[in-house]
Amino acid sequence: MDLRGARARLWADPLLLAVPALFLILVLIVYPALQTLGLSFLSKDGAFVGLKNFADVLSDPETLNLARFPAHTPPWGSLVHNAIWILLHLPLTVAIGLGLAILLRDVRGSAILRSIIFLGMVTPMIVGGVIIRFLFDENAGIVNAFLRLAGLQALARSWTAYPDTALLSLILGSVWLWSGFAMVLYSAGLSTIPRDYYEAASVDGASPLQQFWYITVPSLRPVTSVVVAMTILWDLKIFDLVYTATLGGPGGSSMVLALQMYFYGFRALRFNTAAAVATVLSLFTLVVGIAFIRSSRREE
Amino acid sequence: MATVQLHHVTKQFGDVTAVHDFSLEIDDGEFLVLVGPSGCGKSTLLRVVAGLEEVTSGEIYIDDRLVNHVAPKDRDVAMVFQNYALYPHMNVYDNLAFGLRMRRVARDEIDRRVRQAAEILGLADLLRRRPAQLSGGQRQRVALGRAIVREPKVFLMDEPLSNLDAKLRVEMRTELARLHQRLRVTTIYVTHDQTEAMTMGSRIVVMKDGRIQQVASPLELYEQPANLFVAGFIGSPPMNFVRGTLEPRDGDLWFAAAGISIRVPGALAGATAGLGGHPIVLGVRPEDILVDPERVRVLPDHRVEALVEVVEPLGADAFVHLLAGEQRLTARVPGRVKVRVGDRLTVAPDPDRIHLFDPATEQALSRAATSP
Amino acid sequence: MGLVSQPAPYGRPAPGRQATPHAGSTTPPPAAGRGTPSPAARPLPGRRLRPAVILRHTLAWLVGLLWIVPFLGILMSALRPQAELIHGWWQLGQVTISAENFVRAWNHPTAPMGEGIRNSLLVVVPSTVLPLLIASLAAYGFLRSRARVRTPLFALIILLLAVPQQMVAIPLFRILRDLGFINSYAGLVVTHTAWALPWMIMFLRNYFATLPREVEEAALLDGAGRLQIFWHVILPLSLPGLASAAALQLTWAWNDFFMALILLYEPTRLVATQRIPLLRGQYHVDWGILTAASVLTIAVPILVFALLQRYYVRGLIGWTLK
Ligand SMILES: Nc1ncnc2c1ncn2[C@@H]1O[C@H](COP(=O)(O)OP(=O)(O)O)[C@@H](O)[C@H]1O
Ligand SMILES: [Mg+2]
Repeated sequence: MDLRGARARLWADPLLLAVPALFLILVLIVYPALQTLGLSFLSKDGAFVGLKNFADVLSDPETLNLARFPAHTPPWGSLVHNAIWILLHLPLTVAIGLGLAILLRDVRGSAILRSIIFLGMVTPMIVGGVIIRFLFDENAGIVNAFLRLAGLQALARSWTAYPDTALLSLILGSVWLWSGFAMVLYSAGLSTIPRDYYEAASVDGASPLQQFWYITVPSLRPVTSVVVAMTILWDLKIFDLVYTATLGGPGGSSMVLALQMYFYGFRALRFNTAAAVATVLSLFTLVVGIAFIRSSRREE
Repeated sequence: MATVQLHHVTKQFGDVTAVHDFSLEIDDGEFLVLVGPSGCGKSTLLRVVAGLEEVTSGEIYIDDRLVNHVAPKDRDVAMVFQNYALYPHMNVYDNLAFGLRMRRVARDEIDRRVRQAAEILGLADLLRRRPAQLSGGQRQRVALGRAIVREPKVFLMDEPLSNLDAKLRVEMRTELARLHQRLRVTTIYVTHDQTEAMTMGSRIVVMKDGRIQQVASPLELYEQPANLFVAGFIGSPPMNFVRGTLEPRDGDLWFAAAGISIRVPGALAGATAGLGGHPIVLGVRPEDILVDPERVRVLPDHRVEALVEVVEPLGADAFVHLLAGEQRLTARVPGRVKVRVGDRLTVAPDPDRIHLFDPATEQALSRAATSP
Repeated sequence: MGLVSQPAPYGRPAPGRQATPHAGSTTPPPAAGRGTPSPAARPLPGRRLRPAVILRHTLAWLVGLLWIVPFLGILMSALRPQAELIHGWWQLGQVTISAENFVRAWNHPTAPMGEGIRNSLLVVVPSTVLPLLIASLAAYGFLRSRARVRTPLFALIILLLAVPQQMVAIPLFRILRDLGFINSYAGLVVTHTAWALPWMIMFLRNYFATLPREVEEAALLDGAGRLQIFWHVILPLSLPGLASAAALQLTWAWNDFFMALILLYEPTRLVATQRIPLLRGQYHVDWGILTAASVLTIAVPILVFALLQRYYVRGLIGWTLK
């Protein structure tokens, strides 16, 4: 081979165009992330302490308070809170997103309805937190107005201000804000299913319910895996919403990992503990991310 | 103006060999047509010449300069793509001017050349339009224009007419021929359409599976196909092929198949000498199957009894589909000859125009040079 | 909500002309229907007035109310004077529209929203343009590269999509502090830029891959270099994709809170999202101010969404569904 030609081609490789991007990514994402990883194994004075920070974090009731779970009211620890968030949010998002997409399919004015439902996705989550507080406020909140109307006086109070309801109100609020995302993806997914499938199935005598189970659901599998992955990632990274609505309170009853990391790192200045929390969080998100990539590879 | 030389060019994509040991010299100002079925490597060859793909092995010379490692833009070639590949966001003028701008040609000169090309191609009134606002034929012209304004050494055209409707395609053939007469730029023209190849090329390269099958003039391709593939590919309807064996009889060789027995004509005697008992393929073009009783009568050793199965009248000619023994043959007869389905005819392949092929090598057995 | 009344780009076009008394009487007609003959004048054969259709529409709009009402509540609370809201914004006995809450939020003594919006704009515009440029270059590079490292590098970039901001927060803060970029918009802009690069590179690479290859090759033969092709061919042909990326990034950068929280401290430099928590009193909540500030903060992303809705949604779909 002509060596000069080969070298010239290597230098001319278009990947050169990615150098500025790669530089920024390396300096501002990869390098700091690796440093955080490193910090999580060090003590305050820079000595290597192995997994001690992780052990500290996991034994801290703020992270994991199994003495209270599930017999007592929250706080149960941020790890449990994040897990509950996912467990409640995920099925609700999938069901509501798909339900809305199907319901709005042939409805007059559905464009407006979809836009409004989608507003939750456009809204800054910091405002999302305000909206949640506003909805569940004892006096200003319409949720409580309805509860009173239904005769449930006992429940009519500022949900975000009580340990037993703070987390729940945040989760419900996040479902409300996030539905637009799943709806839009499912709408797009539905529109790609050819009509013939349904026509063929109804010719074969399939009932609407059977058509739903045997045509709609399998065809939407790729969409569902996106919705699931994104929702889990979103729930793990949840921060702004909690910050404005409850600041993790009262008494840590709505604390989540991302917020806990912020408090350790930027309020208590316990950088190593914060790094350990961040590392745990990243571990979860990476597992979800990799699982998603692998599942979408398999579908191809 | 330039010559193009390809020396043993091979191009592989993974385990697919798209072009195999391809050698060819193209003369200055020649209009060379490359024809072959789809997937045979025509586009790949053009792209290799253009520099859009690198060769796996072999050398390419343009004007005696080795261009293997020369970037496409420095090869001074222009390509017309099958789907035109116009810049959708630019109007016709800018589409034509882009290549000149990239080469920093002076503004006046760009304007002069663009207008001249537009004039030649009848695009003068369309200069402000975008490709989406043009008809297929007009887009085709813009694609040509984009090549012309550059005044390159070589034109590479990859099935440029295949997206046009039949009528327009015929018109554009003539127009392209005229254009070449006028500009005399060395051109490699790729098509999968053998009719197009036959009408446009002065020299035609027939390709199959990445290999050259034959390089010849249209007439030679037609009359002396080098192998079974070329014989079957060129001509429409295709040549009739009959599998049989060579049998020695009364000192001559005879071609024998079920229901058909024909004496091998003298012109092929040399090539077939000593092949008695060998399997063989006989080829005869539809128009070379004689049905006129006057002419059949004088060919006692070539008569074939046949049943008329289908008649396709086309006006001047008619295609008559015959069953001879177990063989199906198509004959092309003058339109006024009266044949009807169910008729029994005695026909004869014109002995001067019989082709014989070796079924093992698929090569034609050559005819003695004395044949007219 | 006239802002977002363009027909949605997703799904089939809404079969909006069917006559349903429900849609005609209790809800405003969609903007798209304006100027067309009234439904009653052009009855379509088939499904009109069938009970199932009526039921479906009623249900859809009832469900829709679940989203309409809260947003309406925020708007009402922001637009009406405090005195009217004591018994809830849904009390419609007396409705006065006033800008009072907006004025108070805009000129708030400790966290004026006017300043916050201005600051946000100063951050968001370069935080959109810069990554768009850098990412599109990189995306094109990745698409056309034949170098072996491109595959592991691209895998790394995809992996980074899952990394939470908390993972970089502390070292990033230290790096930018050492460079003197704390309290500076430059620091935040660079951070937003870097953070946007992975998803934008992936999104734009996939977008560029759908462009016709031959057009690019034609430009190559026309004598254009890589950068010229990028600039004269790839970018102009990718305007819809770039619009999608811009719409998403603009919104995300505007909506960002965490990065601003750790990089901007100086009270006059805080961006809009940072000011909202500061308006929330400890014991008494002034809903008028808080909702007005929320409306102000949400207005920009809504505007972006309304103007670039088609690109926004396509981008979101393209980004997630490939
Ligand atoms: N970029 C490529 N990668 C892999 N295989 C290719 C590529 N381009 C062409 N081929 C293969 O090379 C062969 C020749 O293709 P091509 O030159 O396009 O044929 P033609 O133009 O004669 O139809 C085909 O088998 C095709 O599948
Ligand atoms: Mg081809």
